[in-house]
Amino acid sequence: MTALSSTVARLFGRFVAEVEGAPRAQFTFAPTTAEEAAAILDFASEHRMSVVPWGGGTHQIGAPHEPDVVVSTRALGGVDWRPDDLTVVVGAGVTVADLEAKLGERGQTAVLPENAGAATVGGVVAAGVSGWRRLRFGPTRDRLLEVVVATGDGRVIRAGGQVVKNVSGYDLPRLFTGSLGSLGIITRVCLKLWPQGAAAATVVVADPERALAVAHRPQAVLQTASEVSVYLAGTAAEVEAQAAALDGRATEGLHWPERPRGAVEIVVRVPPAMVTEAVALIASANFVAAHGVGEVIAAGPVSEETVAAWRTWAEAEAGSVVVTRAPAGFAIDPWGAPPPALVLQRRIKAAFDPLGVMVPGRLPGGL
Amino acid sequence: MAVPRLVADLVAALGADAVKAEPLDLWLFSKDAGVTRGEVRAVTFPEDAAGVAAVIRVAKRHGIPVVARGAGTGLAGGAVPADPAVLIVTMRMNRIEVDAANRTAWVGPGVINLDLSRHTAPLGLHFAPDPSSQAACTIGGNVANNSGGPHCLAEGSTVNHVLAVEFVDGDGMIQVVGGPAPDPNGLDVRGVMVGSEGTLGLITRVLVRLSPVPPAVRTMLFAFADVAGAAATVSDVIAAGVVPAALEMMDRPLIRAVENFVHAGLPVDAAAVLLAEVAGHPAGIAAEADLIIATGRRHGAFDVRVAADEAERELLWKARKSAFGAIAQIAPNYYLHDTVVPRTRLVEVLEEIYAIARRYDLLVLNTIHAGDGNLHPKFVYDGSVPDQVRRVKEAAGEIVRLSLAVGGTLSGEHGIGLEKRDLMPLLFGAVDLDAQARLREAFDPDRRFNPGAVLPSGSRCFDFGRAAIGSPSDQVSAQSGADT
Repeated sequence: MTALSSTVARLFGRFVAEVEGAPRAQFTFAPTTAEEAAAILDFASEHRMSVVPWGGGTHQIGAPHEPDVVVSTRALGGVDWRPDDLTVVVGAGVTVADLEAKLGERGQTAVLPENAGAATVGGVVAAGVSGWRRLRFGPTRDRLLEVVVATGDGRVIRAGGQVVKNVSGYDLPRLFTGSLGSLGIITRVCLKLWPQGAAAATVVVADPERALAVAHRPQAVLQTASEVSVYLAGTAAEVEAQAAALDGRATEGLHWPERPRGAVEIVVRVPPAMVTEAVALIASANFVAAHGVGEVIAAGPVSEETVAAWRTWAEAEAGSVVVTRAPAGFAIDPWGAPPPALVLQRRIKAAFDPLGVMVPGRLPGGL
Repeated sequence: MAVPRLVADLVAALGADAVKAEPLDLWLFSKDAGVTRGEVRAVTFPEDAAGVAAVIRVAKRHGIPVVARGAGTGLAGGAVPADPAVLIVTMRMNRIEVDAANRTAWVGPGVINLDLSRHTAPLGLHFAPDPSSQAACTIGGNVANNSGGPHCLAEGSTVNHVLAVEFVDGDGMIQVVGGPAPDPNGLDVRGVMVGSEGTLGLITRVLVRLSPVPPAVRTMLFAFADVAGAAATVSDVIAAGVVPAALEMMDRPLIRAVENFVHAGLPVDAAAVLLAEVAGHPAGIAAEADLIIATGRRHGAFDVRVAADEAERELLWKARKSAFGAIAQIAPNYYLHDTVVPRTRLVEVLEEIYAIARRYDLLVLNTIHAGDGNLHPKFVYDGSVPDQVRRVKEAAGEIVRLSLAVGGTLSGEHGIGLEKRDLMPLLFGAVDLDAQARLREAFDPDRRFNPGAVLPSGSRCFDFGRAAIGSPSDQVSAQSGADT
């Protein structure tokens, strides 16, 4: 046993964990509090050990393959739901599916991704992933009221607050949303909730652009290779009237498409008006296109050259093509062109992770 | 008197018609709509980002901070320089470029909030955040403060409606963060710029999301014999799973002041009124309106007035948004806070606010964004009476502590500015404030931008966490080639 591993055993032995699916690491921990997570990160910073935070493992874009430390959030639990305030405080390790099932008991939702599988709340927030209902409710980051984070250098910080409207200090909750673990580990969040609506329907239509013009603030307008569906929710009278106006084939409830899976998975992001063009471009792949939002998720046996060509087109339209999953040896950067203000991005990362131990290289631009 | 070197350099950079530095100018621009006065060395009116960059370069050479100012309607001193500074007034940066297909617009920070919605109305679109000062306040100020307004209950605050921000940094470089496509790659710098109160850079252009004008609207005014009934109605409507477009409350002293001012036919015998609005699909709003009316009646509403037409609706909203003007009839000064409490705690918090006012022998008037739990208790007073000022400040401080004690926050939409800066430690611990200070330092290591605002001095504490190897400035200069 090396000196380092005996020190780790002495300090963090009770957090050692086995986490299925996580990358092989020198140490794998599952802390139970923000303070414990911070102590682990303080130690990692001191010893310059690279860290990968791990929730459900569903959005592991650009992570180092052999980190020194994996920190699982699964023991960071707890749900403090305040249904009359339409808010919930939830531990990072709670799964999206468990949270949404609970909120659904009183007809509420955090509007996190549907059919989220093993994804955790902390993971979805860290990955900045939104659900299909984003057209109506905005992205996940618009639900973040408060975060508690263990920073890369082992501080526990809290920002935002547990009320629905707050401008006290900088909006760190939004900064941490989509930061992909690069600043620290989100240990707890407070989310704003929405009523689901008493009734819901899915209406299959012919023309997505007509649907966007006819329907008033639908939950989503999604196009797959086989059909275009409009998702409605609200009072029974409203859903019925909107479905009639859409003049399509309506069924009760919200029937979400499966997220496309394949050897290569990509997300095309473009200004909303470009979605139809994006669909024409990638029609050969299995896809779900979110009209009105500007996002097309696609999967299939796509070559590097094809991804590069789509990326060239999207970036010219002020968009991006992100490769979220690819086989080993797929020789293309997951992000494409580095974001503007890269120096600023680097400095912001250093403010929270000064020694650069958190998922080094994961962010665009190699940060 | 010789023209100071600073002013001469600004005139050389911008032209004489874009710089003011007469004593009267400096005095007029040294204050916003709040109570704090600062010290201004020159007032500049650049027309674009290049002009802003020129001002910032001059300020850097002279080692003086810059403070951004829109229409000066802020209530927290966010546009008031704590230390002598150059003011950058954004009013001449007032272009609007609409992208109808994407429902967005690039907007200059000097565009007035209501002008933007008027401009896009022919397309059936509007800018959702609607502060009560929307006829005067600017988009730049809205972005800087993450402003709200009655309709942010359902639509969210300004940050939910900003897709990209162009700003000038401390080196005079123009940066653009965010973009028209969803979820731009990298850290969400755009989200941090919104609500940063001019402390991270100077905003020169904003890409905003425009929202469809709802096809149907119903506006209702409820009169209650007691405040508790109105507050309980708010709690029960939210708990029933209805998020109306707006849910606003006013209490008797304010109702009377406003009615005297606007003549909207408000029920002056009511202890409180609730202004509720539902908006959306015609079939949807009917059911929501029915639920709100039934809830209001259950909690003792003795009168329910539904606006018959757009003119009546506008009159009711005018009444709500005229609170500040109306108050001027009662006393020369007012002082207010902007705390937010969990909406379920409204009844008890309001009762305690009245008790505080009684203890300090003060008149308090309340307008409340009740659906959000956002309080605006206004103490009216006469600033020439020294003891009144002391009592007002002490009473306001008690309201802040009360709000925080029930799990609330310091400011919901007005910002921290100078006014509430020193209250931040009531809300955040030293490590939290240090983290905010580090973020600020990452943007503005020279403390060029509004250095007195938001964080109390001493927030940056070097006792926490670890330092990077090599100074931050070393890292930046090594990387700056890659950023252009």
